[in-house]
Amino acid sequence: MNKYIKMAAGVVTLAIVASCTKLDQNLNSTLTSQQTANALGAAFVLQNAYNDVGNPYSDPGNVFALEEVTADECLIPTRAGDWDDNGKWRALHQHNWSVDGVDIFLNMFNALNKITFDATNVLTPDFKATKEQIAEARFIRAIALYQIFDLWGQFPFRPPADNLLNAPKVYRGDSAVQFIISELNAVIPDLSAGNTISQANVDAANFLLMRLYLNHGAFVNRQSPTFSDADMQKVITLGNAIINSGKYGYSSNFFDNFNPSNSTSKEIIFASPNTAGVVTNNTGIHNMWWSTSHYNQYFSHYGSQGGWNGFSTVADFYNSFGVTVPMTRTPNDTLIDPRIGGRYYKGATDQSGIRPGILIGQQYDEKGNKLTDRKNNLLIFDPNIAPDLKENGANLELTGYRIAKYVPDFSNNGKNYNGTAGNWCVLFRYPDVVLMVAEAMMRQAAPNNAGALALVNSLRAARGTTAMTSMILNDATNVYAPNTLLAERGREMYWESVRRTDLIRFGMFLKPWAYKSASGDVKNLLYPIPTASLAANPNLKQNDGY
Amino acid sequence: MTIQRSLARWVSFTLLCVLFTQNAFSQTKTITGKVSDDKGTPVAGISVTVKGSKTGASTSADGTFSLNVPSTATTLVFSGVGYTSQDVTIGDQTSLSVTLATTTSNLNEVVVVGYGTARKKDVTGSLVSVQSKDFNQGVVTSPDQLLTGKVSGMEITTNSGQPGAATTIKIRGNNSIRVNNNPLYVIDGVPLDGRTARPSLNLGQNGLDFGPTPETNPLLYINPNDIQQIDILKDASSAAIYGSRGANGVIVITTKKSSSSGTKLEMNTSWGVNIGYMKKYPVMDASEFRANLAKNNLKNDSGASVDPLKEISQHKLSQNYSLALSGGNDNGKFRVSFLGSSNQGLIKKTALDKYLGNFAGTYKFLDKRITIDFNLIAGHTTENIQLLSNTAGAGGNLMSYALNWNPTKALRTGKGYSLAANSFSATNPLAVLDGFSDVADVNVFLGNISATVNIIKGLDYKFLFAINHGSGSRNTNAEGWIDNLKGVSGQGFAAINTTILTSQTFTHTLNYRTNFTDDLKFEAVAGYEYWKTDFDNNTIAATGFNTNLDYATRTNVQYTDFMQNAKTLFPMSTIRDPRTEIQSYFGRVNFNLLDKYYLTATMRADGSNKFGANNKYGYFPSVGAKWNISNEDFMKNSNLFSNLGLRASWGITGNQEFPAGASLEQFSSTAFNSIGQTNVANPDLKWEKTTSINFGLDYGLLRGRFYGSLDYYRKNTTDLLFQSTAIQPAPASIYFINLPAHLINYGIEFSVGAAIVQQNDFSWDFGFNIAYNHNKLTKFNQAPIPTAQVSGQGVSGALAQIITNNQPVNEFYLKKFGGYDQNGNQIIADTPSFCGDPNPHVLMGLSTTLRYKKLSLVINANSATGYLIYNNTHNTITNIGQFAKGLNSDANDFKTKESTGDGVAASSRYLENGNFVKLRNATLTYMIGDVAGGKVKNLSVFVSGTNLFVITKFTGFDPEVNVDKNNNNYPSRNMEYIPYPTPRAISFGLNLGL
Repeated sequence: MNKYIKMAAGVVTLAIVASCTKLDQNLNSTLTSQQTANALGAAFVLQNAYNDVGNPYSDPGNVFALEEVTADECLIPTRAGDWDDNGKWRALHQHNWSVDGVDIFLNMFNALNKITFDATNVLTPDFKATKEQIAEARFIRAIALYQIFDLWGQFPFRPPADNLLNAPKVYRGDSAVQFIISELNAVIPDLSAGNTISQANVDAANFLLMRLYLNHGAFVNRQSPTFSDADMQKVITLGNAIINSGKYGYSSNFFDNFNPSNSTSKEIIFASPNTAGVVTNNTGIHNMWWSTSHYNQYFSHYGSQGGWNGFSTVADFYNSFGVTVPMTRTPNDTLIDPRIGGRYYKGATDQSGIRPGILIGQQYDEKGNKLTDRKNNLLIFDPNIAPDLKENGANLELTGYRIAKYVPDFSNNGKNYNGTAGNWCVLFRYPDVVLMVAEAMMRQAAPNNAGALALVNSLRAARGTTAMTSMILNDATNVYAPNTLLAERGREMYWESVRRTDLIRFGMFLKPWAYKSASGDVKNLLYPIPTASLAANPNLKQNDGY
Repeated sequence: MTIQRSLARWVSFTLLCVLFTQNAFSQTKTITGKVSDDKGTPVAGISVTVKGSKTGASTSADGTFSLNVPSTATTLVFSGVGYTSQDVTIGDQTSLSVTLATTTSNLNEVVVVGYGTARKKDVTGSLVSVQSKDFNQGVVTSPDQLLTGKVSGMEITTNSGQPGAATTIKIRGNNSIRVNNNPLYVIDGVPLDGRTARPSLNLGQNGLDFGPTPETNPLLYINPNDIQQIDILKDASSAAIYGSRGANGVIVITTKKSSSSGTKLEMNTSWGVNIGYMKKYPVMDASEFRANLAKNNLKNDSGASVDPLKEISQHKLSQNYSLALSGGNDNGKFRVSFLGSSNQGLIKKTALDKYLGNFAGTYKFLDKRITIDFNLIAGHTTENIQLLSNTAGAGGNLMSYALNWNPTKALRTGKGYSLAANSFSATNPLAVLDGFSDVADVNVFLGNISATVNIIKGLDYKFLFAINHGSGSRNTNAEGWIDNLKGVSGQGFAAINTTILTSQTFTHTLNYRTNFTDDLKFEAVAGYEYWKTDFDNNTIAATGFNTNLDYATRTNVQYTDFMQNAKTLFPMSTIRDPRTEIQSYFGRVNFNLLDKYYLTATMRADGSNKFGANNKYGYFPSVGAKWNISNEDFMKNSNLFSNLGLRASWGITGNQEFPAGASLEQFSSTAFNSIGQTNVANPDLKWEKTTSINFGLDYGLLRGRFYGSLDYYRKNTTDLLFQSTAIQPAPASIYFINLPAHLINYGIEFSVGAAIVQQNDFSWDFGFNIAYNHNKLTKFNQAPIPTAQVSGQGVSGALAQIITNNQPVNEFYLKKFGGYDQNGNQIIADTPSFCGDPNPHVLMGLSTTLRYKKLSLVINANSATGYLIYNNTHNTITNIGQFAKGLNSDANDFKTKESTGDGVAASSRYLENGNFVKLRNATLTYMIGDVAGGKVKNLSVFVSGTNLFVITKFTGFDPEVNVDKNNNNYPSRNMEYIPYPTPRAISFGLNLGL
């Protein structure tokens, strides 16, 4: 008996010992950081940080929604069965959002912080990044920090190789601005002169510095910004350096800056690239036209189904171009500022009937046939939007002017229209430098209004529109007043995700405008930190009023 | 007592009288006698009949009877509830003294506990055993359907009407706040992975306007005819032996083994058809549509009258053939079975074909000291799937096309299918049926072999090795000629998707059984188990094909056979999950004193490579005790209780269903030739822990005429595996943590079985169970987690449910609907509020068997109450606004004040009461018995109806619905969104043995 037991015990012990495992885990489809460092290195990790920048700015449901829909040039009416989307679009435009009522707050808080994370990862010693790579990574991180700070008034910051289970410290107020400025100043010497517009480059870094200096007064006191002369001089100096470098100029057609081959535009200082026809190398720029065009525009072409009939603009904005006569369809109409659009554009109008810019009135297909909506009404975009932004009437698909600033990519038999467009997402553009310098001139201790007007008129001349005879910063009673720098910024920079920042800097964000009454509620100057993010990091502080 | 007895008598006599005409006997004699039980106690209420006639009497309170019988009568039959019926030859006797044996009740049934078996009456835990004879009948494509309504506290919801679709099983409430939380399945001692090798498909990728498609059932490869019994381990005492995978309960499936008496052949066949939708969806027919067009001055009347829902459905014949051959002797037994079946779906071009072979055997060697058991299952299934995805956007899915199609517009034209009028017309559902195909082929091999060595008396060593290998491929084709299908029209789309799933189990167990004294029995099990599983999936997808872009010139060559023809290949996706390995040590001891006092203790240590570096091993103890009161001397003579036992148990079970690799830092390759970190490492990550207590009462009354149990349980799940918001800046928005919240489930379960009448010619059995569950999340200090995506146009970003403190999991959280304003537009609150619970509070199951002679009728019904369903279909597919666009919509909306121009918004308006009673199955069987001189045995024929009707106020297709609408993997519950509808089916079958 004993022998059996011993034998059995032996066999069992042997069997168990033989099959014992250490329980280590192989990742199989993913790499460890060590493998990444050894096999791929910093260049691949840096590329990831670059990629992160595209989508938050390409898709109008992202940063765009927080910078434009909440401002005076963009709104999305709820069209009966469409665009209710939990009421978020109305809440954004009417400034009555709640902390978690708009999912974009959390999505963008995460997406922008992911940029800072991925950029910081390049700095991890394991990856042995070069000085140049580190400088590029810190520049990308500065873009994200700037944007987070702009939207929420604070940003969390982790050093490289930080333990992700620890709550990072948070920058706010002036120290946040100074931190980003110091980051940019630190990296500029390390950036290569030969870097292209899709890479961190010296001009882009200086551009971001200009934004920081120009907004500095607003960033530390959004309710009543004051502008120091020192900051304004910085803006002017940095801006003049870019202007005088001779590297940049104006495109002959405003919309060439946004067309599928805009990567060659002389106006672009920094952009996020997209490769036409390649799914992986695309950040969703096609949503810029999908979101606004009517369902029946460009319908039934090569598997396409038109647009989403959502994002719209208002007549007041259209009128801020100084429109005195109705738009015609004449291709050579020179009466009106060309930036308003509506003119024949080769590659777009001949493909779809779409005339880039602000789409008003009757819409046509590429053969010149009048389009209709789904109820067989003529597709005439109508500026009269329901006061509560809830369309229920027979014209519910027609209300609101539309904007096609990005020229749809119809290449690849129209397929690129649907998601593999080649338009680069424009982030920093030369005319903004000119406008920022002009603004700083007007805000400096001894305002140089004439110099500012001359700069602005040079821009207007390049655009093929008439000179302004006088210009003030803004009209406190009317956000759309045409002869203001604020309106000029609107005419040039519309739908480029800067409008809210502008309005706050000009002290106009809480004022009334089309389909939005004066809120006066200062809490709206910053967005709420999403509850989930706040709970995750106790160092974050909920913004006042939420 | 008296009532039951007279009821029984009444029923039996009435039936006898109705069904048979009275015969008169010319000559009679009187027989008297007394009936007593095996203890000598007189038994009342025993039916005494003359064999082969209706003449009968019943014993009185003192057990005596008196009966006039024809002089030709030779045999009397004695039968009664709780007793084995007995034939007694009369001969010359006029006075009989009969002793009846008590029926062996289910208490001596052997139930399967983890790593062993036990007699039901010795089990200290809460465990339900369902034998094959009690399984649901009718159309059954996977084993879990055999159990619906049979087990108190177990909710089984089929996720889709597609044959073979996955089910959501909740045992004792909602136990977790993650997706994929079904119980652990154990088949013949081998734990399954829970996933399947059927490739899943997310049509939402690659620019198509569709979402993920429903998953398939992991138990498809088990032939329902091969199952001997299924044991459901509900509490910690029974499930803790499965450690870190036992917290959702364990379903133990035991397949049939051969008997040792000669060679036998069993054949089961059935043929069936779907006879239509179990419940109609309230969209308008052509005449209603026309009438409403006129009323609203709309001109969308195209002149025809069609019923698209009918057009997309089919009544093809389903067939089922199963053959089992078994035989053997004392030293060796085998059983071989084959199943060939073709189940046709309700929707055209949907079906599940199955071919399964099973070879099982037991052989003994060396004076029976060594036993070799094996069981090999090889299976092949082919699924034909249609375009019915879970989260389809504005582009919809096949059901939305059928629901929305203008019923006055013909679906076909002379040359093909009618086209969409504009971008918003519904896509032609028949064109989609024709031009879309999605076929999944899966091969599965499940094999296990074990050797048991009897070392000394009472001590056995067992080694088990099992492998479960599945490989699946799925070819999806959407032909470019289909009109008005975004991403498909004019270009075509195809995807080939392959999956391989392999798991292996090695188990060593030592089992020791002894009697310390005559009164104290002892049993112990100790074991070691190693389990590993690998999963990989590869997808290629392409668009821009040159063929089949035009209906007239389409070819029969599928895109998937022709991928090089495509102009655009989507980025290839290859995923190989990190291997999961679990290494466990476990043990159990049982003490049994005098068959009155029982004590069971178990312990399992589970190490898993999924756990973080700081937490490699988890420990899961349990204890259970039972007092078998009916074996106490003072109860021995009780006439009321034939069985009475009290149980109590405590224990900890675990859950480790989170993705492998979640605790580690990971870098993934992304766009533009880059790589980035994608996971927040959490070295502290560990299992989720459920501490539960259970108090139970098992009872048998009146010699087992009534039996059942009553249980109270309370479970507290802590260290919840939870996808928390990452602390930004972070590489991802969420990461896995163990949240120190408490998810509480408590409830009461009651079951009763009754043998109401048990006579030779007539019997009536009845089973009923009811369970109440209460579910609440407490001490949840996180930000509330909104989940349950509402899908469709105009509701993006809307979520219907919330996971938050002091609420049931998945509480509905919606903006309140406040009627209509004077313009007929809905009034909806600005902010959401708590709106009710999607988790059913009360579950009921009912089954009854009526047998008269050779005819028997089995009816199974079940019910769930106290919960709400979100009708997302009505919200975004069939809302009245669609009518204004020329689409069909819900007829009921026209009875309200709502205008056709009203908006679409997610709100409490679409919450509907889910309460239902469903007649799941009714089967009428005629048992012909042995024919052809006994050469053909047990011949029976049956006709069976499945999902015959449902009583509910819910307006959708089926109140038993759970379309997966998870948000970032936070689960949803009871959301309905254009699901595959539930069919009503009828089948006919024939069973025999040789």
